[in-house]
Order: sequence, then C-alpha cells, then structure tokens
Amino acid sequence: MTLAEFLNQLDELASSAQQQLEQAADLDALESARVEFIGTKSGRLKATQKLLGKIEKTDKPAAGKRFNEVKTQIQAAYEQQQQQQMANASGGGTGGEQFDPTVPGPRPRLGHLHPITQTIEELKDIMGRLGFSLADGPEIEDEWHNFEALNIPLSHPARDPLDNFYLRVGEKTYDQALLMRSQTSTVQIRVMENTRPPVRIISLGRVYRPDTPDATHLPMFHQIEGLLVDRQVTMADLKSVLRLFASSYLGADVHVRFRPSFFPFTEPSVEVDMRWNDKWIEMGGAGMVDPAVLKAVGYDPDEVTGFAFGLGIERLCARRHGIDDIREIYKNDVRFLHQF
Amino acid sequence: MLVSWNWLKEYVALQVDPAELEERLTMAGLNHEGTSRVEDDLAIDLEVTSNRPDCLGHLGVAREISILFQQELTSPPASPPQSSTPVTDLTRVTLECPELCYRYTARVIRGVRVGPSPDWLVDRLRTIGIGVINNIVDITNYVCMESGQPLHAFDLQKLGGPEILVRSARADEKFLAIDHKTYDLDPSMCIIADPNQAVAIGGVMGGAETEVSDSSVDLLIEAAEFDPVSVRTTARRLNLHSPSSYRFERGIDPEGVDWASRRCCELILDLAGGELAEGSLDVGREIPERQSIVLRWNQLPRVLGIEIEPDTVRRILAELGNQETTVDQQHVEVVPPSWRRDLTREIDLIEEIARIHGYDKIPEDTRVGMVPSHRTDDERVLEIVRRVLTAAGYDEAMTYSVISEEWSRSFSPWIKSPPLQSQIPMLHGADLLRHSLLPSLLGARRVNETLSNPVIELFETARIYLPGKESLPQEEHMLALTSGKRFCEVQGDLVELLAALNPDSELEVKDTHLDLFEPSRCVELWIDGQHAGYVGEVSQSGQKQFSLRKPTTLAELKLAVLSQIANLKRQHVPQSPYPPISRDLNLVVDENVRWSQIAAATRAAGAPLLENIRYNETYRDLEKDGPGKKRIFYSVTFRSSDRTLTGEETDAVRQKIENVCEQSCGAVLLK
Repeated sequence: MTLAEFLNQLDELASSAQQQLEQAADLDALESARVEFIGTKSGRLKATQKLLGKIEKTDKPAAGKRFNEVKTQIQAAYEQQQQQQMANASGGGTGGEQFDPTVPGPRPRLGHLHPITQTIEELKDIMGRLGFSLADGPEIEDEWHNFEALNIPLSHPARDPLDNFYLRVGEKTYDQALLMRSQTSTVQIRVMENTRPPVRIISLGRVYRPDTPDATHLPMFHQIEGLLVDRQVTMADLKSVLRLFASSYLGADVHVRFRPSFFPFTEPSVEVDMRWNDKWIEMGGAGMVDPAVLKAVGYDPDEVTGFAFGLGIERLCARRHGIDDIREIYKNDVRFLHQF
Repeated sequence: MLVSWNWLKEYVALQVDPAELEERLTMAGLNHEGTSRVEDDLAIDLEVTSNRPDCLGHLGVAREISILFQQELTSPPASPPQSSTPVTDLTRVTLECPELCYRYTARVIRGVRVGPSPDWLVDRLRTIGIGVINNIVDITNYVCMESGQPLHAFDLQKLGGPEILVRSARADEKFLAIDHKTYDLDPSMCIIADPNQAVAIGGVMGGAETEVSDSSVDLLIEAAEFDPVSVRTTARRLNLHSPSSYRFERGIDPEGVDWASRRCCELILDLAGGELAEGSLDVGREIPERQSIVLRWNQLPRVLGIEIEPDTVRRILAELGNQETTVDQQHVEVVPPSWRRDLTREIDLIEEIARIHGYDKIPEDTRVGMVPSHRTDDERVLEIVRRVLTAAGYDEAMTYSVISEEWSRSFSPWIKSPPLQSQIPMLHGADLLRHSLLPSLLGARRVNETLSNPVIELFETARIYLPGKESLPQEEHMLALTSGKRFCEVQGDLVELLAALNPDSELEVKDTHLDLFEPSRCVELWIDGQHAGYVGEVSQSGQKQFSLRKPTTLAELKLAVLSQIANLKRQHVPQSPYPPISRDLNLVVDENVRWSQIAAATRAAGAPLLENIRYNETYRDLEKDGPGKKRIFYSVTFRSSDRTLTGEETDAVRQKIENVCEQSCGAVLLK
C-alpha cells in the first residue's frame, strides 16, 4: 500500500467519523459511533492502524504521524460531542442528576469587630494621616490630671463627687483622691508633662461620668481627643485641621463652623459643626489650649500655643450606623454585632 | 434659659425676625435650643454656658443683642421714691458668716396691698414658664429674670423680731420651706434667721412661715450675694434646686445687687402701693475692685490666626462694657465690667473679641505642616489579635469596666487583694473595678443565650484594675474570650494567634485550679517563659452561677505579654526547593504521658530534617493494649534544604524518633 493511499483512507475515515459523531442524535447513537470508529477491539481506526504494517519503511514515520493526528482528532471530536450530549441530557430534565448551583456552600463564620472599635479605627486612621500619633494613659486618674492641670479648680462644679466616679479609699492610700477619668484630656496632660513641644497626639478610650442610662446617655463611653502644641499654632490651624478631618470622615469637601462655647481647659472654646447634606451637624468641642493648662505642664504660653478638640465616639458611631438607642452598643447581642 | 421676645423688646429694639436673632445669638455663644409660641409671645430657649451668668437675665441677653445688632440698650432707672422713715428704725441685719454670704442688703416697704399681678406681668412670667402667685412674689421673680439677681420678700410682721441674722445653720436645725417640706440643715449651710429660727436657706429657698401671703402688709426685700460653692453644695445636699440657687452657683453681678433691690421696690410701689423706707441695710464686704487687663495687639493674630483692626477691637471691648484705661502701639488696657467676672486675663479678652467679631472670619484653609506619625507596636499587636480572632469566628464584645460583687468574686486569678470600689455605683449597683474581663463576658454570653442566639463566640480587649503601691493602681490590658467550642479547639485558636504574632514563640501549659473552671480542664498559659494567662472549660457550678445552659470555654491573656513576644519585623528565610517526605507514627503510651512530651521528644530526635509534626488523634484499644494505655497517632514531615531525601534516610530518622520516644516516654511503636 502506498503512502498516498493510506493517507487518503485516513482522511476519509476522519471526515466520516466527524460527520457521524456530529450527527449522533443521542448518547446511544454517539456510543455506537464511538464503537464504530475508535472502539478498541474492532473500530475502524484500529483496522486502519493494521495497514501501517504494509507501508514502506521510509514512509512509515510520515504515515504514523498522520495516523496519530487523526486518532487525536476523532477522540477530541467524540469527547466534545459526549459533553454536549450530556449537557443536553441534564438540561432537558429527563430525570438525570442535576447540578444545583444555588445550594449553599459551607460558609466560614467570620467574627465582627465591635462598631465602636470600627469607629475608633476610622477616626484614628484619619488622624494618623494628619500626623497625629496615638498616646495612651490611665483610666484611673488623680485629681491633678483630671481636674487641676486642666484648669478645673476645686470650686468648679465639674468636680462634684456626685458627678464623678471617685474611688473609695481603702487600705491602700494614694497621694491624691482617685477617680475614673471623666475625659481623655488627662492623657494630654501626661504627654505634655513628659515631652517638650511640638506635640501632635490623639488620645482615646473609655471615660466615665455618672449618668442614668437612656437612649443617648451611658455612664461609660468613649472619647477621642486631639492635641497640637507648637510655636505659631493658631485657631485658623484648628479650623483647617478639623475641616480636613470632617472632609475625610464624610468623604467630601465639608465646611466647618465654630460656635462659641465654654470648656475650662481651652480658651477660646468652641463647638464645632460640620456641613452635611445642607445641614449643620454637631461634631464636638474644641479650642485653643488655655494658657493656664500650658503653664501647669511647664510650657511657656508666650512661646507656644496649641489647640485641642474632642469627639464623643458613641454619638458618631450611632449616627453613622443609625443606632437610635446607644444602650444597644453594650448589650453585645451577636445579631447586633453582625450588622457591622 | 427661656427668654421672652416681647420682654427683650423693652430693652432693645428687635428689628430682625426671630430666626435671625436666634442664629446670631447661637453664633455668639448663646446656643438656640428651640422656640415655642406662647399666646402672642415667643419663648426662646437659649443655652447659657456656666461662664456667662450675666446672660441669666433678660437684660444680659438684651445687652448681647445690642452689641450684635449695634442697637441702643435701655435699662430701667430703678429709683423708687423713698419715705422719710429710715430703714434702720425698722429692722437690723447682722452677718455672722461672711464666708458663706458675701453681702446682704435689705429694704423695707410698709403698707402694700397684696393681690393678683397685672396682665403684662402675668404674660411675661407665663412665657418663660414661671407660675404666678401674687403681685409681690411675682415681682421678685420678674426682677430675678430681668437682672439675673435673685430676690426674696419676707412678710416683715411674721419675722420673730425686727432683726435679720445671716448665720450658718446649727447641727440639728430643721427648716420648713415654702414647698411645706421640712429639711435637715447642717453647719455648712447659710441660713437667714429671725431671733427664733431659720426663715430662709440663703440663696436656695425661702421659708413657709414668713412667706408673703394675701394678708401681708409690710415687707422686707432681700438682695444678697451668697458664696457659689456653698449654695451649690446646699442645693445639692437638700436636692433643692431653684432659679435662685442656679444663679448664685454661677455667680451674680456684685454691683447689680442694689440695682435689683431698687428695681424690685420700684415695681412693688407701682403695682402694690406702700411706702419704701429710706435707705437700705447693707452688710458684708466691699465690692472687690476689678483689676485691669492688658491685651497685647500681637496676641490676637498669634492665637486667632487673623488680624483685627485695633479700632474694631477697641469698639468691641467698649461695647462689652470694658473701660479702656490706656492704649498705645503695643497694647490696650481695660477694666472689665462688674457683670463679667469671667474676664480676668488677656486670653479672656481675645475670646470675647473673636466671639463678637465672628469665628466665620477665621479661615479654614491654612497649611498645617506635615509630621511623621506611625502606629505604635501595641496598636499593631492589637490589630493582629483582632484580625486572627475575627477570622476564627469571634465577635468583639464591649462590656462595662465596673461589675457587681458577685461577679467580682467569681474569678480573680490575677490578684488576691480586694478590688477598687467606686463611691457611687455605675450600673445596677455594680461598683467594683474589675479584676478580670471574664465575668462580664459570661454576662454577655447569658444575654445571647436568653436571645437564643445559636453561636456565641465573643472576645474583648480592655483593661483590668489592680490596686498596687504605685501612685496609681496598675491597669493591665487584657484579651479575654468565651467560646462554645471545647478546650482543645480554643487552644488551637490561641496557638494560631501566637503563630500570627510570632511563629517562633513557645507555648507551655501548666496545670492549675481555679474556682470557675472544671478542675482537670484548666491551665495556665506560659509564653516564652512568661505567665500570659488562663484557658479552661467552665465547670457545672460555674455555669449555674452565671445561669448558662450550655458549656463554654474561656481564656484570658495579658496583652502586654503578647506585645512583648510579637515579632513585627519578620525576616525572610529561604524555602527549600526539595520535596518533603512524610511518615506516620502510632505509639502506645501510658495514660499519663502527654502529647507535649511526645512532641518534644520527636522534635529533638528529628532535628534537623524534621520540618513538621502533625497530631492526628488519640484512641484506646483495651483488648490489645490493656488498661492504662492509649495510642497516639501522628505524622511527621521531613525535608532537607540541600537535597531530595531518600526513603532510607527518612526511615533512619523515623527510627531515631521511635527510639527516643521509647526511652523518654516509654512509647511502644505499633507495628
């Protein structure tokens, strides 16, 4: 048999196999076509393979190569048809097993961070970008750091024992009366006492004030406070930093305004509002660090100035997430936590 | 502070609509809280900060308005006609406690007709929510709300003698107040007394027995200045808060005392008739002279960041009532008005100027310089803790720092001394500063069980408070968790956490016994030789104590130890390109042999080719091994950094492991 004859026969086989496989109406017809052409015992391809022996030795490599090509081609055609037929069969609703892509897979249970933590992290992140580093301090404080150094003298109503969580004096006697801090400004005092200016910090954490819990009050809540002390720090810098903060937090170019207010540790003191959806919303308190506070920590008020601001975290968190009763925040219902 | 729109108009022309007035007052420091219509008047609610008692009267608010809108302020002359009878003929005042009462003045009016107030007065008081009583009492209230100076009218004939004594109360003294309740007094309180008894608590409340009634004819009008701290303490102790105590607590205008007294008498003469005795009784200290304040021109831009024209500054200071004494290129010096006792320093004047000039003039676009800032290592460790635990399925809880005695007693392994206690309880009688986060987390667990939440996995990071000898108690930052999983799984979570912090850290457990936990399922955790915390399954009785239906495993660790062992700057170690080879081992050991011993022996014998040990399971085959024996099935992986290991090499190491396990743990290999 010549090479040409063999190749002709192969081509014919290939096209006839292609045709029959394509025309097979169902899986049974496809199976009989498979047996006819590529059946291992008596398929036509097998028969053709036997003819290889009759080819001239020099032509054998070419013949063998072509034979393999045709074999692969038919096999591929068969597999393609088979897949198609099977897809047709299952899609046709003829009672076979069907894949259901809507069955839920095993879902890893991810824990959720508390919304207060999420709020704190966001605020910390924004302030970090503005160059404020985190400073930490004790939650149990002495009167010097919680009041005296913050320009809150003994006669000030804020020091009333009924308005603070003072600690009972037991066997252990401390130098001063102790209380659970009523504001995170205490940390500012501690930082300034131990660092020379410039200072650019935020302090945050739990603070405590006796209050009967209701939808907007809790005896324990969180505050974040910023402090910047340096030469030539002005109220315009305060306004600019707060505007950057408000714009970052609300994600748009936001304007801020100052309303006069009163805090013992800042002067001038202001309430800060930010403009959002054509309304002014309260952001927190701020002001220029009172010269008495600068003096108390050993700074010279004629040399440096500074500003400070504080925000209540529960309020920001409640507003952002639409929580209308802040008592929910400390109930720790897993369903509540999983919303955030 | 509620102010009446119509009332304000008596002192200043209001040529604006109420909304604009409210806005301007808000932006000048009198925050507008709301406005309600009362008949044909408006009640405007303004928040007055504690440094501005001068705005606790209509005249004070009108003064602010006159400055903001550049309008004339007219205040009543307060010059009532006097009779020729000197007041000294009618009564006397003795001040025994000048530290509680700075100044006491009295005027006497005889022959009044007590009756209902005229409509205009009724309207004024009704707008601001004050009930009407009779013309005399209404006038004292009116003048108080006009000037901010509280006044009191006594029925002169009901006083037990022609003498007023201002003294501190006696230890067991009792007092029947206008509200017809009896109050127990103490020596810290200032009282007004006749020769027999207390007739008023100074600055706080008048007495029932000398109150003005329809039958009163002769009056003693008190206008005084009481010590703010004493008034506050007294009002608080007796729970008797009044518009009067509110004003004295914040400090009144010492020069307004006499004006208010005259104004009150003027109105009484007008509305109730009678005859005012000549002069007044006035005892107490001289009005302290105001010190002048120097404002350096360069301080305004230094603090505010804007320049303000000196002429503007001087105008604002003058309008606020400051008397300018000197002015030059460097500074201006002023004496502040008597009603602004909050103005004592340069910075106070700067705030006033900024407030009136307008904070809107301060720009919001200065360039604040950049500085480096970075997260602290503690913050980064906390972030890893949160990341690992949330990935492991724990939700973050937040609980109160103060707990009940019962909770506090239930678990306190960190310290034996009693917890710190707050003077007033925080919530539900809880007043102890916690020594552990775990009781609070069990409380949160109970809340979730009550809500039938199926999966309750909670962690918290917070502080505990340990009394110590330092100047402050020690605060230890803790990580605690409660899980519905068993001991072993929670242990796995913690090992994963440690690996995230530092893969080379070594965890060791030591048996311990703690009340809350199942005795054999509670251990101390030691990390790199430091006691870091506890893990344990809660015992049945512990469950009962916290009313828990289902078992739970707890852990509490010191974050400081985690921070200390954390490796936050990891170094690259080249990974071997050669394939690993694994072998299984199945050892029979005595019941008292622990996995940690097998693992340690395996690690020692397998070095340096041993890459990994994986514990599979422990099981028991009583028939084959007999009692007191268990089988530990585990796998080891070997790998070399410089070649592909052969089967022979691997088997040799495995053999060595078996030998060491046999020698050190008495292990028998299961063939």
